Amino acid sequence: MTLAELAFVALALVAVATAILSLLVRELVHTILWIAVFFVDLSAIYFLLDAPFLGVLQLGVYAGAVTVLLLFGIMVTRKRIFSREAATGIGAVPLALAVVTFIFVISVIGEFPQSGGTIHAYAPADLSQNLFNVNGPWLLLLGLIMLGAVGGAIYLVREGRE
Amino acid sequence: MTDLALVGFVTLSAALLAIGLFGILTRRNFILLLIAIEIAMNAAILNFVYFAAYAGGTAGLTGQAIAVVLVGFAATEVAVGLAIVLALNRLKGTINVAQATELKL
Amino acid sequence: MDLSSFAGPFLPEILLLAGTLLVFLFDVLGVRTTERVGAVAVGATALALLFVVADLGFAPLTFLRTIPAGQLDAAASGTPLYAFTSLGLVFQAIFLLATLLVSLASLSRPSRDRGAPIFFGLLQLAALGMLLVALASDLIFLLLAIEVTSIATYLLVAYTRHDSRSLEAAMKMYIIGALSTTLSFFGASLLYGAYQTTSLLAIARDGGAAGFPVLVLLGYGFLIVGLAFKATLVPFHAWAVDAYDGAPTDVTAFLAGGSKKVGLFAFFLIFLAPILFVRAAAPGGSPFTSGAVALGPVLQITLSVLAVGTMTLGNVLALLQKEMKRMLAYSSISQAGYMLIGIAVGTAPALAGATLQIFAHVFMKTGAFLLVAGVTAWGVGPLIDDWKGLGTRRPFVGVAFALMLLSLAGVPLTVGFVSKFVLFSAAVQAQGYFVWLAVAGLLNSALSVFYYARVLRVMYFEEPAARATPTGAVAGGSEPPVLPAGGLGYGRATAILLAVVLIVAVGVYPQPVLGAIQAAATHFVNLGA
Repeated sequence: MTLAELAFVALALVAVATAILSLLVRELVHTILWIAVFFVDLSAIYFLLDAPFLGVLQLGVYAGAVTVLLLFGIMVTRKRIFSREAATGIGAVPLALAVVTFIFVISVIGEFPQSGGTIHAYAPADLSQNLFNVNGPWLLLLGLIMLGAVGGAIYLVREGRE
Repeated sequence: MTDLALVGFVTLSAALLAIGLFGILTRRNFILLLIAIEIAMNAAILNFVYFAAYAGGTAGLTGQAIAVVLVGFAATEVAVGLAIVLALNRLKGTINVAQATELKL
Repeated sequence: MDLSSFAGPFLPEILLLAGTLLVFLFDVLGVRTTERVGAVAVGATALALLFVVADLGFAPLTFLRTIPAGQLDAAASGTPLYAFTSLGLVFQAIFLLATLLVSLASLSRPSRDRGAPIFFGLLQLAALGMLLVALASDLIFLLLAIEVTSIATYLLVAYTRHDSRSLEAAMKMYIIGALSTTLSFFGASLLYGAYQTTSLLAIARDGGAAGFPVLVLLGYGFLIVGLAFKATLVPFHAWAVDAYDGAPTDVTAFLAGGSKKVGLFAFFLIFLAPILFVRAAAPGGSPFTSGAVALGPVLQITLSVLAVGTMTLGNVLALLQKEMKRMLAYSSISQAGYMLIGIAVGTAPALAGATLQIFAHVFMKTGAFLLVAGVTAWGVGPLIDDWKGLGTRRPFVGVAFALMLLSLAGVPLTVGFVSKFVLFSAAVQAQGYFVWLAVAGLLNSALSVFYYARVLRVMYFEEPAARATPTGAVAGGSEPPVLPAGGLGYGRATAILLAVVLIVAVGVYPQPVLGAIQAAATHFVNLGA
């Protein structure tokens, strides 16, 4: 097993573990801690895939912005910051559904070569050329989504006297 | 680094999607639901990134561009969800989906 | 590239974006009366509709064309993100009509509603997203455009922010919407992995994925599930009734008549191409039959099962409802089943039938919800039984609602009959098990007559019962409850009148609309061949 494979296996295990922990721990603030680790871990995987731009983006947007947003959400909606969440059961049907989904998706691995494969690195300049030129309309659409989100969200949370 | 097998990434993303789905189906706290959705969304983004890494050329660049757009989109989606939940919290003092039972299921 | 040649074909979209920004600017400047803000929205939507209809080539308007003749229905070169097809234009017209009806009716909302700029702004933004969906020829472009609409509609449902029912409906809709988005993008990522492109035509055409039949099948599977949530097909419909019930009724009209159709059009774009290509290439073998899986037939059977399930369960549950809004919501779900038949059959006439059904549904269902909103504002309760005697006491409302329900049931001389006739006869022509789809559709239409007829009976043949006044005394023996003197409001009355006129006009003389839709459907089917 090469060093890269070893690193990937370790990172993947951490990703799965932190994802499960973030949903199962009962202290809400600990949830945020685990999900932050999860986001950082994924960013490391992107670096491993020679996609440094995406790694940095993942760090900035997910590990930074989204995590803080979720933390604020908890702080505003809870009286005490370390409040506990009532235990919600695990449930047989959702578990079965999750396992079935996993098996379905995993069934594609027979179609791929079982080892090796070249990982291509892309220069950020080429990526931005693709993002702003060839596929520019995607960014325009993202802008429209954000326009709606900002307009509506401000209206929802601002103090209103009807 | 040219020797990572694709199957490992497929397995990881399948596992993340399953965990996310499980969380969406079982959690009742809205913040936890948001987190579960984000885990599943990260599985989709991861898919684009590794397929792009193996594709090469313009096709690969397109995949990475999609991943960049999706990261931005997911953050926007979380913000909208939080706005709805803060408005509801101000009104009712709970963000528990199960306690919000005015609508019949 | 100079600005005019770039902006020309996108004039309707630019108009709506300008309207949205202008209305948001009004909010900042403090201009918040419903009439002023609404006038901007109605104007922008009506103008955009005019240009779209002109592009479709209706004779007196052709001088307003914005799309150069060569660009419409042109064979795509390369892998563009968007394309102008006449079927897309038909859908743009449908989406804009729904938006126009809702914004006209919303002019009659309370004048001092301080959120009016946000309401009309989000409405126009949602309409803009729908227009872009109709242009899409790229999977990611399509999904992102759907999200423009979705995000705007979550916030529209939450718009009455001091009503916890509305906020809870928004929360439910948000969770299900985010789940469906995630599944759709996951499916898209699998298809990207198989084909290394996200262009819809290239995906449907490309044989490059012969080595990945399972990956392709899974990708389409996730897309079906994700989009079925948006189009409220049956195993994935439960959220819709709650959202429709809890949302402000004007917004419900938009959800049922407008934004749900976005999901259905996405079905057109994504799943029709594989079905068509398999048929076109049947003698010589197709990209998909050369692999392990024949994708087209699998998709057809899946969509057929979804269609029958959606029709039947939607109708049975509608039969059991006691509340007007919930009854209409279930009826709206069952209508999605009829529309799905057209995609499962996949011939040009069936496609035209499904498109006409979607076109008709805009007037019938949007009109009905807008009317319910107006009647509810009079103080009539949510139950169907609360409508007793309304038909005789308010003749305009009674006749309009009766026409909408008769059209929904598919009675001749209404547009609902024409669309069902075209759709079912196309399914019969297609032979095979599609004949049974038509039979299922006919049986369901018969079933639906029961619950529409019940509403008519309540409205016309039942006397309102004596009702206790708030003070506890019984109001004067058999005296009916007092309706306020005011009417529906000019805007709402205009919208309802427009819907009724179109229901009857297209029902009696369908040729211009039907002809345009059939031509567009034929172009669409030939696009990839």
